[in-house]
Amino acid sequence: MWADIVKRLPRFASAVLTGLDRSGDPVSLRCQPTLDHQAQVLRVVVPDGLEMVPGPAGLLCHQHDDQLWELKSFLLRGSLERASQEWVFRPRQFVSGMDTTPLSNLRLLRAGRRTAKRYLAARGLPRPTIPWDHYAQLKDQASGRT
Amino acid sequence: MVTLVVPPEVEAVFREIRTCEFTTLAKDTTPITWPTVALYRPAQARFVITTSIGLPHKAYNLRRTPHVAMLYSDPTGSGLAMPPAVLVQGDAVCPDQVVTRSDELDALGRLLMVRQPVAARYAANPLTRWLSDWYLMRLLIYVTPRRIRWWPHGDFSQPAAELEVDHVG
Repeated sequence: MWADIVKRLPRFASAVLTGLDRSGDPVSLRCQPTLDHQAQVLRVVVPDGLEMVPGPAGLLCHQHDDQLWELKSFLLRGSLERASQEWVFRPRQFVSGMDTTPLSNLRLLRAGRRTAKRYLAARGLPRPTIPWDHYAQLKDQASGRT
Repeated sequence: MVTLVVPPEVEAVFREIRTCEFTTLAKDTTPITWPTVALYRPAQARFVITTSIGLPHKAYNLRRTPHVAMLYSDPTGSGLAMPPAVLVQGDAVCPDQVVTRSDELDALGRLLMVRQPVAARYAANPLTRWLSDWYLMRLLIYVTPRRIRWWPHGDFSQPAAELEVDHVG
């Protein structure tokens, strides 16, 4: 897992760290984590005003272009610890995210299809029909053709 | 129902930023965050998010624990220069109803078709429609904000401005 983090984290200018506050609500900030290779943790600056507490945490890296494409992302599940004046994110699991390459798209389409089938079957629901003509009209409206 | 009133620079963020970072809590309370398109509905004092039944984990998570957060911190493609980073904490509900057409889905669909024109390729022919029809079988998620904080210019080292949202009355 550490090798994946070392390879991918530098491709992103920043990351979103999410922990919990004292009420148990999720709280997020954008940060620039630094790699501590020896301890295999990420060091982050967390302002006190966020009221973040040590415990379960996640770190998301994502990016897209101006057309909301060229999507790239990954997520780390882990925990947040306070170490004197700084905070340490200890990763536990690497989760691959979006990657708009053809192979990745095909994998996502097949997995999504299987999961949707299970969702419907678990509830005894018929497969809904998609109103494709309606979506074509929405597309025309969005592009100013109607 | 109250109307959500926020400063113009925060409203611009809600309307123009392409994706927020939406967090739900896993069973072990680990925050799970993914980029998500959100529809701002100030007249109903809430946000609308949608997910496919082929990607249902955020729905499962928030049905178990409704506490969620939305961070708007990436202005790429929004046309906004140095906008504030905005954090919304609130409660979400996700009715167990599979939707393929509704006013809210239409609004989200229009938003996406303008912002992500490449996505139209999935409706281009019978094969891509067959492969991707599950993506349009949607669950609607309604986020009611309780607390909104924002950091001018996205500078988290500075104190945040804050708005508590009162839904009573």
